[in-house]
Amino acid sequence: MEQLLQHGLNALMLGGTYALLGIGLTLIFGIMRVVNFTHGELYAFGAYMMYGLVMKAGVNFFAALGLAIVLGVLLGALLELVLLSRLRAADIDTTMLVMIGAWIALQNAEQLAWTGVAVSINNPFPAAPLVLGPVSVAWNRVFVFGMALLLIVATYKVINGTKLGRAMRATFQDRDTAALMGVQIGAVHTATFALGSGLAAAAGALLGPVFVAYPSMGDLAAAKAFAVVILGGLGSIPGATLGGFILALVEELGAGYISSGYRDAMGFLLIIVILLFRPTGLFARKERIG
Amino acid sequence: MKIGSAMKFLTILLFAAPALAQDPIRIGVTQPLTGAFAASGNYVSQGAKIAEEAINASGGVLGRKIQLVIEDNKSNPTEAVATAEKLIAKDKVPVLMGAWSSTLTLAVMPKLMEYEVPMLVETSSSGKITTSGNPFIFRISPTSEMEARAFTPNVKTFGIKKADFLATNNDFGLGASQEFSQMLKAQGVQVGVMETMDPKATDFSAQLAKIKASGGDTLFVTTAVEQATLILKQAKEQQVKARIITTGGSVSPDQLIAQAGDAANGSYHLVFFTPWFPEAVKNPDIARKFVAEWNSRKYNVGGLTEGFRGWDGIHTIVEAIKAAGKAEPKAIAQAMWNVKVKGINGDIAFIKQGPAGKESAQNVPSVYVVRIDNGKVVKN
Amino acid sequence: MRATIVAAAGVLALASIPLWMGDPYLLHVLIMAGIFIIAAMSLNLLLGYAGQLSLGHVAFFGVGAYASALFSLGFRVQVFPGVVLAVEAKPVWLAMLAGMLAAGLCGWFIGRIAFKVRGAYFVIVSISFAEVARLVALNWVELTQGPMALNNIPALSIAGFAFLKKPSVYWLVLGCSVACFILIARIVHSRAGRAMVALAENEPLATSVGIDVTRYLVLATVVSATMAGAAGVLYAHYVRIVDPDVFLFIYTVTMSIMVITGGKGTLAGPIVGGVIFGLMPEGLRALAIRPETQWIVYGVLMVLVVYFLPQGIVPALKGLRLRRSAT
Repeated sequence: MEQLLQHGLNALMLGGTYALLGIGLTLIFGIMRVVNFTHGELYAFGAYMMYGLVMKAGVNFFAALGLAIVLGVLLGALLELVLLSRLRAADIDTTMLVMIGAWIALQNAEQLAWTGVAVSINNPFPAAPLVLGPVSVAWNRVFVFGMALLLIVATYKVINGTKLGRAMRATFQDRDTAALMGVQIGAVHTATFALGSGLAAAAGALLGPVFVAYPSMGDLAAAKAFAVVILGGLGSIPGATLGGFILALVEELGAGYISSGYRDAMGFLLIIVILLFRPTGLFARKERIG
Repeated sequence: MKIGSAMKFLTILLFAAPALAQDPIRIGVTQPLTGAFAASGNYVSQGAKIAEEAINASGGVLGRKIQLVIEDNKSNPTEAVATAEKLIAKDKVPVLMGAWSSTLTLAVMPKLMEYEVPMLVETSSSGKITTSGNPFIFRISPTSEMEARAFTPNVKTFGIKKADFLATNNDFGLGASQEFSQMLKAQGVQVGVMETMDPKATDFSAQLAKIKASGGDTLFVTTAVEQATLILKQAKEQQVKARIITTGGSVSPDQLIAQAGDAANGSYHLVFFTPWFPEAVKNPDIARKFVAEWNSRKYNVGGLTEGFRGWDGIHTIVEAIKAAGKAEPKAIAQAMWNVKVKGINGDIAFIKQGPAGKESAQNVPSVYVVRIDNGKVVKN
Repeated sequence: MRATIVAAAGVLALASIPLWMGDPYLLHVLIMAGIFIIAAMSLNLLLGYAGQLSLGHVAFFGVGAYASALFSLGFRVQVFPGVVLAVEAKPVWLAMLAGMLAAGLCGWFIGRIAFKVRGAYFVIVSISFAEVARLVALNWVELTQGPMALNNIPALSIAGFAFLKKPSVYWLVLGCSVACFILIARIVHSRAGRAMVALAENEPLATSVGIDVTRYLVLATVVSATMAGAAGVLYAHYVRIVDPDVFLFIYTVTMSIMVITGGKGTLAGPIVGGVIFGLMPEGLRALAIRPETQWIVYGVLMVLVVYFLPQGIVPALKGLRLRRSAT
């Protein structure tokens, strides 16, 4: 029983960051229809920024966190402007290929800059875990959970409560009408991609200090992000949020009770099961495209 | 006029002839310099380069300098094959060193048979490499089976009653778990759970929860240093009480101390080189010189436990070239069987292993157990 | 007619290469490029003509490789408790056929279930299938040896003739490429091919005219998968070692790059893209720059080609010729 509780607690702590990754990607893949292979690299970027700021520049941990997220948003905006702005009308696979090229270039640039050796990032939290009866959890994970929730709520507020959010929803629902109504389409595209990328960077900046940072860390994160997006339904932010926690839970329970080697397969198996029985995901916003 | 050009021609000839004889002897090296194993591949290459310069500084071999041709196999078997092709067919190297991981080495082996060129295996641990009937393989690193055997006396000293395993899901991890559990069973130790994880995984909470529930007194961990760091940290977070022993020799205790901090204390590690106390190895002077040279180049201190393999490998190859008397693949292969080298790990010599008539060569290296105590590496 | 003569001359020129070029390393590079070009051509059928973005294509390649390797080595596995399936080592040509068949079966299976979903969803399903295939190969150690890899795979051999020397392998791969090219050309120009293109361009319209969507998409997938499987078979018996890394996503990426930069939906596209991006990594290796930099250059070049020639190189060349002849 206590093993089950421990698994549940682990899943809860991790689910928030999966949700962040998923929300970011559902904005880009679900709404912008860009098969974003650089999502994982933004995650790695966030982690490496934390490393650079905290370990090399001696910046305060919390300030570095904020800075890393801002830098992630900026990088996302830059990528969109440089790479995607001219391809807005192009096929899905053309943009995909551009994203793949960017992914290869970014990951190897990370390795060139930081070498392939994994690095860890100090965090200001006590090393001894928080013990709750039979289960225990590290303090830094509790912090990550809290921050993730905060960021998720903030994203909701932006999408549903601000003018920018309205513009985003309008653009991707019906681009031409939105343009006619005066929405700056180009700016919306850039902002959406930047926001999605910023969330990925946030996930990386939060998880970097929990685990370690190394150049190919983004690959696994990207795979899980795609799983969350499918689970939740393309374009659905509540879906991605719930999906993040569900994926974490399925992974923990699957690894704990079925087979630990298959842990990271759980996400993919889940995708296939979902797509077989409920292709639109849990909370589909749009019809499945035909 | 004619005499002038004839003189020029003769002069060129006179200077060209010795220049031709001064062509460096090329040694091919295939290592993962990018991709999943990039860190380790770079360490081995750095060790190899230190050896190259030391050898050239003392006159080279057979009156010629040596030149390493280092190719990146991108941590990928298909690329490993391409690097072997390029080094042998294009660069015409008479001998290779590589390819780091067992899968990469296995991928290259058919090429060695095809072109009849020997390769020195410096890191790979799979038993298959020396039992596949390939007489061009010369391995100085131990197999997991040898490592387990070397550890046997420690079972009593540690007082191990029940052991659990956590290994990375590839040939290296699975092989180690298999060999160690077999050795332990033969010693009457109970084997608990044998958990695995994907080489890229970063969260081991599920596996650790199961290991904790299993209740063994010792946990054998076989994986790369990044995962080992995380395992130590998460084991502490989940309050896993078992003593942790890492195997494989690639887990740098220095890196663990730097990155896992307090969580690394109390852990044990099987290594093939002890740079912290060189006097423990067979050839302490050589070890000390290597450490000094490594540090003077400001290479990552955590890389010493892998970098030495490059050094030992190149020195073994050069000894074989010297004994062969010429830089020719078949001669080098024949000579390598009889070399005796004073390496950093210990004394290097080859025994036969594998199917009769097509044996591969295997060295029997020394294995050391160290402990991390209070942020320092100490003898066990 | 003229195009056929040019093509035939091209093939003859390619076939002559081993006769005058003595560099075995370059021959190796050409063989590997050829194998990937076959896989790229198969992807083109699905992506370029049927309009389905499959990012799991490497699964068919890997299944073909594993199946052929396993049948040529023989295997023994417990399928259910008490039920053991043991297969003796089969002659290589039979194993090769088994490999292609296995891949084709996977194609049929994927075709049936995946075409319930389209577009972005299909992308995900295909990626997931490849990942699951990789994880099965990795974890079902009893059958596949897992990460310990299947090695000592016998060399290619058909009707008793073993392809041991590189030139013979090169000619075999060249022959297979030509055969695949002709097969795809015939399909594309047939009724089935026209139906596929109609589906890709406007599905509701095509359905309303009576075209059976699922049937043609499944057909495309099966042919595509079998061909990719054939490429996998050639790979397994040439490199002679197969491990779960054969399912790596990077191979799908390579195939996709070849198809899209060459020009999807054109017959020559995958070949042009294949030659350029198949030879480029080796060309970069020869430049003696840091390995990371080689990769960065590769990524940047990819982006540039797609950016400036979004339709691909072959259509761009055709467009150039059209404009030239118009003036």
